[in-house]
Amino acid sequence: MIHLSYGPRGVLHKLRRAAAVGLTGIAVGLASVAMPTDAEAKNTFIFANSSAYDTMDPHAVFDVGRVAYRINLYDGLMRWEDNPPELNLWLAESYEISADGLKYTFKLRDGALFHDGTAVEASDVVYSIERILALKKGASALFQDSIASGSTKALDKQTVEFNLNSPSAIFMATVPEIHVVNADLVKKHEVDGDWGSAWLSSNDAGSGSFMLKRFDPAKGFQADRFADHFMGWGDKYLDAIEFRTVVEINSRVLGLMKGDFHGSDGYMPQDQIIRLRKSDNVDVLEQESMRIFYGVIHNGRSPMNDINFRKALAHSFDYDGFINDILSGSVARNPGPLPNNIWGAPKDLEGYTFDLEKAKGYLAKMKEPPRKITIGALAGYGQTEQAAALMQNGLAKIGVESEIVSEPWPVVSGKMRDEQQMYDVLFLWKSTYYADPNNWVGEMYDGAKIGTRNNSWYQNPEVDSLLHEAQTTTDHAVREANYAKAATIVANDAGGIFIYNTKWFGPINKKATGFRFCPIGNGQEMRWVHFD
Amino acid sequence: MKLLVLILNRLFWLVPTILGLIVITFTISHVIPADPVAFVAGDNATAEQIEALRKQLGLDQPVHIQLWRYIVAVVQGDFGVSLYTLRPIADDLAGRLPATLELTIVSVLVSAVIGIPLGVISALERNSILDHVLRIITVSGLAIASFWLAILFQLLFAMELGWTPLQGRVAGWGPDVVTGFFLVVSLLMADAEVFWDVVSHMILPVMTLAFPALATIVRFTRAGVLEAINSNYVMYEEAMGLPRRVIVWKYVLRNALIGTVTQIGLIFGILIAGAVVVEAVFDWPGLGYYAVQSILQSDYNAIMGFTIVSGVIFIVVNLSVDIVHGFIDPRESR
Repeated sequence: MIHLSYGPRGVLHKLRRAAAVGLTGIAVGLASVAMPTDAEAKNTFIFANSSAYDTMDPHAVFDVGRVAYRINLYDGLMRWEDNPPELNLWLAESYEISADGLKYTFKLRDGALFHDGTAVEASDVVYSIERILALKKGASALFQDSIASGSTKALDKQTVEFNLNSPSAIFMATVPEIHVVNADLVKKHEVDGDWGSAWLSSNDAGSGSFMLKRFDPAKGFQADRFADHFMGWGDKYLDAIEFRTVVEINSRVLGLMKGDFHGSDGYMPQDQIIRLRKSDNVDVLEQESMRIFYGVIHNGRSPMNDINFRKALAHSFDYDGFINDILSGSVARNPGPLPNNIWGAPKDLEGYTFDLEKAKGYLAKMKEPPRKITIGALAGYGQTEQAAALMQNGLAKIGVESEIVSEPWPVVSGKMRDEQQMYDVLFLWKSTYYADPNNWVGEMYDGAKIGTRNNSWYQNPEVDSLLHEAQTTTDHAVREANYAKAATIVANDAGGIFIYNTKWFGPINKKATGFRFCPIGNGQEMRWVHFD
Repeated sequence: MKLLVLILNRLFWLVPTILGLIVITFTISHVIPADPVAFVAGDNATAEQIEALRKQLGLDQPVHIQLWRYIVAVVQGDFGVSLYTLRPIADDLAGRLPATLELTIVSVLVSAVIGIPLGVISALERNSILDHVLRIITVSGLAIASFWLAILFQLLFAMELGWTPLQGRVAGWGPDVVTGFFLVVSLLMADAEVFWDVVSHMILPVMTLAFPALATIVRFTRAGVLEAINSNYVMYEEAMGLPRRVIVWKYVLRNALIGTVTQIGLIFGILIAGAVVVEAVFDWPGLGYYAVQSILQSDYNAIMGFTIVSGVIFIVVNLSVDIVHGFIDPRESR
């Protein structure tokens, strides 16, 4: 056995000294590097987005998380703006609806240009709707039933005519989703009848307020101001925008506090909002949005097909505990299937309260004790899992067994369309795809949409009749009354467990002003924003 | 000669290994009850619309037919396109792989360059205060969650001290990429400012990834050195009067490094997988988030592409480890 007493003391000493010198050098070096927040220098607004921009094709996706490129790079005939949302003329300067409600004729404004300088014409609108219908992706499902391929006509360069299969009161509300692409440009890049999909997934063929400069699916996109946009620009505007994918919430918050980012999504947990409010760099704007959180109840299966059990479920959820304790009061109680702030929402709807005695009373009215039920939640979406746990806790207290199943969205999305696989209860959100009451009660509880958009297998002839009238008449007063009545009936039937309407807490850099929040654009339309 | 045979042997087995990987991953990803078509079609799609899209995408075919088509395409160098974006998977991978590889390679190099000498010193100075301190540090390195460590580094170095950038790979958008390896690009451009910017962005993620890796390397090197210095040949060399530094740094270290090098190969694979968390925290545009997102969305071609690339990297790294073994211990390559 050798006793190694020859440790290289000299070497150690040198190493220590070298390390000390090295660390000092690195610290001095790093401190001397001016970290360019190049955004401020170039009047660029940098937005940290939680979802990745994996495509730039405006017709490929239709979600709230990636709305920024659709509304900033592209225009539609109409546009939703502000809160409550108003449907404004955009590329169109006027429109007419025929008496039978089948023909919608839009007159395009003069002077609207695509980013390559060519004029926006009616033929571009026709190409865009045909492309949407052919690709069958994104917002396509909104138009598949109402518009036949080949039915849309360019009457002249400025006039486009949509011919609907049947009268639709919601068509106008969905027109902003027809993002107009430069037909000639896209056609040039079509390969094997792909409608230019491969090319448009990374390029820009729009007329929007900003034009794409760079796109990297791993990072996000940059776009420069389009000086020739038809809407014109005031004295103050942004020169460029950058939407960067930052998936980790803590990194988004620290970046906002440091001033690296100027905006981010408005649906962060409340503890992060509190951190942001304390920052010198950040203002937090607050708006009631239109994104309801609710429990979908499978009404078509025993024991949920018994109204007594559904009411027992509705009384077993601790609404106050969830809203005030878990979510720190950052959302607004929403007792029905329509967001409180949309027209048609019933004003006098009280909704259910957390009342276990009432729940037990309803259980006692059932013919036989209920079986163990499954409560679905979206994996990775903490609130749905918390709501499921709270529901399970409430049910345990009234003697109802339950099992929580948390699965990723593609799995949940598939199961929701299958009567056998659908969970007994499932917690999720319903966002604003178009600002019309039909987006909620008309999609979620219409018997004709069972298995597709009606995932609760709820069917009530009276509700169906009210909804179908509201979906076809153009009489606003009738529509408002019908949606209110339908929503009230669904709530009284405990067709779902209606919990809250989301508030939007938009963190914005203190130097940026001009924000106009709209639930549809999720507060991400940048043309109004500027730095003071 | 033996080394050449070893390399050829490994390359020969690369094909069936990757084929097996494809079959297993393809089957698993297609039999789990996720329906990406419904997801792609959107919330408002009807059953008919979903089925039409399924047919259009060829996903209505039996799994074995889809698998055969996929293998034929991959052999022809076609990884397919993303279900969601229709972008070629090869482009997506090529855009992200360099970021992950650069981060991983630098982290492994840093951990090896610091870890091996520390392991030797720790062994030579065993049971000294230095050895105890290193033990505390290395055990911490293995125990601390990288997610937590990453955030702490951000809070201290980026927010409090302002020494490093908070996140990202480079300030702004970075150089127009030729290779995707920003360190290489900036050196080729001979642009010291960009190089320093890239290095400064790399410091925190590399520290986070290298810390646990360094801990492993220190522990393995220390154990290897301790075992070697207790060998008879060291006693013989000592008796022969060879200089101590020659005994330690030439003979002892060479024998001690076999286990360490094997570990470095494994660490490389672990770091590529572990980069998911670090990439998320530091907004590093690499493969990690892409892989996670593809799995969550059941974007089949993207999952397969990532799996194949990871498999090839892992095999190549292990082959490299075998080659390095041959250099360290020539008996292995004879």
